[in-house]
Amino acid sequence: MSDALLELLPSVLLEGLLLGCVYAMIALGYTMVYGVLGLINFAHSEVFMIGAVAGVEVYRYLGPHIGNPYALALTALVVAAGVSGLLAMAIERMAYRPLRARGSTNRLVPLITAIGLSFFLQDFTRLIEGLWHGEFYMNYPANEQMEALHELPLGMAIQNKSILVIGVTIVMMLALDYLVRKTKLGKAIRAVAQDASTASLMGINPDRIIARTFLIGGALGGVAGVLFGLLYSQINPFVGFIPGIKAFTAAVLGGIGNIYGAMLGGLVLGTLETLGGTYLFFMTDGAIGNEYKDIFAFIILVLLLLFRPQGLLGKTQGEKV
Amino acid sequence: MLRRATFFSIIGPNGAGKTTLFNILTGVYRPDTGYVTFNNKRISGMAPHHIAKRGIARTFQNIRLFGAMTVYENVLIGQHPHIRYNYLDAIFGTPRCTRAEKRAQEEAEQLLDYMGLSARAYDLAQNLPYGAQRRLEIARALALRPKLLLLDEPAAGMNPQETDELKTLIRRLRDDRNITLLLIEHHMKVVMEISDRVVVLDYGKKIAEGAPAEVRKEPAVIEAYLGKGAMGNLA
Repeated sequence: MSDALLELLPSVLLEGLLLGCVYAMIALGYTMVYGVLGLINFAHSEVFMIGAVAGVEVYRYLGPHIGNPYALALTALVVAAGVSGLLAMAIERMAYRPLRARGSTNRLVPLITAIGLSFFLQDFTRLIEGLWHGEFYMNYPANEQMEALHELPLGMAIQNKSILVIGVTIVMMLALDYLVRKTKLGKAIRAVAQDASTASLMGINPDRIIARTFLIGGALGGVAGVLFGLLYSQINPFVGFIPGIKAFTAAVLGGIGNIYGAMLGGLVLGTLETLGGTYLFFMTDGAIGNEYKDIFAFIILVLLLLFRPQGLLGKTQGEKV
Repeated sequence: MLRRATFFSIIGPNGAGKTTLFNILTGVYRPDTGYVTFNNKRISGMAPHHIAKRGIARTFQNIRLFGAMTVYENVLIGQHPHIRYNYLDAIFGTPRCTRAEKRAQEEAEQLLDYMGLSARAYDLAQNLPYGAQRRLEIARALALRPKLLLLDEPAAGMNPQETDELKTLIRRLRDDRNITLLLIEHHMKVVMEISDRVVVLDYGKKIAEGAPAEVRKEPAVIEAYLGKGAMGNLA
């Protein structure tokens, strides 16, 4: 039996990597917003969901006109990134900025606002989809070319769409890294994250930088939505919740506020969860099955945070007295 | 009233309102009464980043660098309002973007050189020794190309040698760059040696103003610093 488990390992790792890509892309949105505002934007899971829905609409309306499945997927990705990015920016403008402008320093008020928004966006999407198409369960249509398998060494096989998911994730992460490290906007984002009031005395408008941060984080969430749809096909207005919570977990796991932590945390969580789900089943002779993968993921989180509360890449700040 | 390219100092006992004055000038606080004009334009009520863009830069009493960024990046942040290109330029790497970035980099390097920080350009700001952090705060403020530079206790916590270097540096600033300087300082030696004019604040009110030598003799000033009885003892 151990031979069978070993044989399975590479494919399970690949599966975990794909899930991890999705988690990582969502986690970036949480962590970037936390970085500049110190706020957990719980509505981000809905930004992700609406990205997935926007992608479905692209498939529905442009699918018949765009023959090439890659071109279609890229169109869906771009549209979803735009829709989700603008939505995240609108959320910040309408829900969070007014609270900041009134000088509320209470962290709980925006948190409750975020939870309320989250429910609102779920039901709003259900309403719109219901009125528009008569139902709110949606599918990313299967495509032969996208599902085609490539043989890899070690008994692995990878689908074209999985290559696309990994490729898009790598490109987005490299682009984000470049943006944050090298560009003027990236430096301003880091400056605002460290000390917004000093940044404003250097001629940086913090509100503008915060809006841009939401735009970027939202766009990444939208991309994640389409990748999720490509991988798992079925989506609905409530599909954001579990991946959202997992991605938030991944952000904390990596060290909240640290974008490399979010990338790493997402990949680690996706891999551990898939590994746990598969092997628990075998090791307990089917008594504990794949349905316990979430518990497995969170046990890992609790254990890790007990020993490293700052997360994998987070730094402990020695308080200067 | 502050005349261009002069060197003003503000002194006064602790809690006299010196830093509050800086906060009002830079837009951190709004004045309850009265207003601030700068180059004949009313600036009180403007957001801090608008005031910064108009040419007022400052340093802080307790150092507020971006500690997790490099020395070089801290200076580039100061240049933020002067680097002009939009996001399409950045994505496609247009000549405008490359030119703007290159100019910013050259200027940052010059500033670091000027402030004697070139050797540590790629260290994190938080890892610099105290005196160098103070100099970096001034470099970052200069990157804004200020017309008016506010220095909040730049000599605080410095040893005598660092204080001497600072004095030379401040003199050089005024001579090379034609900047108007406003200085808060407790270090009387620094104040008396380098200011053109001194203002004395106490309990938020101006109690004296004049050339350093005059202010030093002002009874109200001696009283504010040493208490009422001191006058008698001195006389």
